[in-house]
Amino acid sequence: MKKYTFKGGIHPLHDRHEGKTPTADKPVRKFVSDTVCIPMDMHLGAPSKPCVKKGDHVLMGQLIGEPVGGLGVPVHASVSGTVLEVARRQNTGAGLSECVTIQNDFKDEWVELKGLGNVETAPADQIIPAIAAAGICGMGGACFPTAAKLRIPEGQSIDTILVNGAECETFLTADHRLMLETPMRVVDGLRAAMRATGVKRGVICIEENKMDAVATIKKAAGGREGVSVAVMKTKYPEGGEKQLIKAITGREVPSGGLPMHAHVVVLNAATCAAIADAVIDGKPLVERITTVTGCVREPANLSLRIGTIFMDAIGECGGYSEPAGKIFTGGSMCGICVPDDTVPVSKGNNGIVVLNEKEATPPETTACIRCGRCVRACPMGLNPYRLLNLCEAGDKAQAEKEHLLDCIFCGSCSYVCPARRWMTAAFKNAKDEIMAARRAKK
Amino acid sequence: MNWTAILYAVLALGAVAVVFGLILAFADKKFYVETDERVAKVRECLGGANCGACGYAGCDAFAQAVVEGKAKPSGCAPAGAKGVEKISAILGIADTAEAPKVAKVLCNGEIGISKEKFNYVGVKSCRAAASIAGGPKLCPYACVGLGDCEAACKFGAVSIVNALARVDESKCVACGACEKACPRSVIKLMPLESTVVVRCQNKETGRIAREMCMKACIGCKLCERQCEYDAIHVTNGFAVIDPDKCTRCGKCAAKCPAGCISMPVQAAE
Repeated sequence: MKKYTFKGGIHPLHDRHEGKTPTADKPVRKFVSDTVCIPMDMHLGAPSKPCVKKGDHVLMGQLIGEPVGGLGVPVHASVSGTVLEVARRQNTGAGLSECVTIQNDFKDEWVELKGLGNVETAPADQIIPAIAAAGICGMGGACFPTAAKLRIPEGQSIDTILVNGAECETFLTADHRLMLETPMRVVDGLRAAMRATGVKRGVICIEENKMDAVATIKKAAGGREGVSVAVMKTKYPEGGEKQLIKAITGREVPSGGLPMHAHVVVLNAATCAAIADAVIDGKPLVERITTVTGCVREPANLSLRIGTIFMDAIGECGGYSEPAGKIFTGGSMCGICVPDDTVPVSKGNNGIVVLNEKEATPPETTACIRCGRCVRACPMGLNPYRLLNLCEAGDKAQAEKEHLLDCIFCGSCSYVCPARRWMTAAFKNAKDEIMAARRAKK
Repeated sequence: MNWTAILYAVLALGAVAVVFGLILAFADKKFYVETDERVAKVRECLGGANCGACGYAGCDAFAQAVVEGKAKPSGCAPAGAKGVEKISAILGIADTAEAPKVAKVLCNGEIGISKEKFNYVGVKSCRAAASIAGGPKLCPYACVGLGDCEAACKFGAVSIVNALARVDESKCVACGACEKACPRSVIKLMPLESTVVVRCQNKETGRIAREMCMKACIGCKLCERQCEYDAIHVTNGFAVIDPDKCTRCGKCAAKCPAGCISMPVQAAE
């Protein structure tokens, strides 16, 4: 069997099965909390506008945030109950964001749902509107509005849809369990996306450390038109959009371009499952699988309502086993640190990883010894050591010339650096500065 | 000793020297580039730190532009009033420096006053820290205190004390590098003479602002009522002083319940 891969990359926690051992064989468990706090800015693009007020009774799946602008995404109530508060709160983003807090009445009364039925027979032109109405955005972490991704602009052509089931991130097993337990949803979602865009080839890409998922997906995809399964080598960041495209199709996304410029659309496995729910049953995105792991007593894969507070989810897993040093949304490589455990689970939140104080303390930074490990590790073919020198010297113009803006912030360079230099953080910082300067110019 | 060998060597080197000397003399005449000696004189009057605040590549480029009439002498903030006067005299044009400015930090949130949200460990940069859940301080408008301004200042005027930027006004030349570096726009250029400044930009309502920081402007408008000159107004949730109308009487500062208005130095004493 051919195993696809790309150049560069690293093998984080290789000796511990990428940190996935504690949760890899734990079936997904449903958990519903007393209250949910649903942020309006879970997606990329302008924050949605709350359309409920304090005291309102809402049903599950009811629209509570109206989309704003071209990249807007609607937000739906993830439980039935009473709205406690519509207020601005500090979440993981830089600024405060509008959040709707709902007291759960545990009745789970749904609003009236109107699905399109079987994905193979549903009218193709109604699929994208159904996805848009369900409020789906990329569930792998980037949160790009899925409907906008599938609306291919004029003059662009797409010939392949890739389903990202790589889950190369450390610790996370959410997509693995999803593909293992409900493979048909992933395949249905892919077929729906293929029919909506008129694409003939769909590939579900899975890393070789999840051969059980490969088997179930292969079984589910058997006999479906144009759907195939590809096995990739276990390597980080195999699930990076550009790396995935390179590995499977051999094409490169041009610098500064989008996957569609390589005639590919990449969808996360969880996004596909959400698309299937939206198309078949008309269900909005109110629930997702999140891996809660690290120093919690009973690490688990939980099916959480959007807006579940981290504290509740961690409590469901038996609480902290040691004092927490750092909590991530997402895995430990690409994830973002959260300020405390009072932030809510958002649509793109595939993991809650808790590190203890010892793990969270960064090692001391020393001088670069020019070993070149970062150059070998960089999946984008950049020279991280050189870029860091430029960033530290403040030479943004030269850093930009050396393709700083192509950095995908995977963290591979920082991970392998024996001098423990803050590379990825410095690049993100420099990129933010360059983008801020560009916006200021406009 | 072989004197002739030494003699030949001296003669040969001497001949080479004469030939090259002639070439140099010829080149000096033939390829002479006329320079305006005023450029060098103007250059001497400038700040000399290549800070880039004027918008030119450096002090030399700015001096050239001034002599060519493309830039005004007052474009160089670090030159100060004296420098601009000198340049004007050299060029025989009339230009006066704008009212002297100085960078002021519009935040009081040092450690212990502004509440801490989390302990930040990472790359030492305000912009990076501010992008993680709004930064280590609870207030999303506060000085992050990791020293992007300190790093940007070429005159050693900015320092970080207790996670809050401070400006040594005697060293500040108002080049504006810190203003550009600050991701939160906490540090701003203001007229040197406007000594009464509201050092807070918290846009939240009173209760939320107070929860974030003990010295946050709560928008109570007490200062507005105190002011006899219509100089201070609460807009966007925090008070702002109009430096043109303000007479630096300090009454607002004395009355402010949050203590977020800085007093003129004399009044403080």
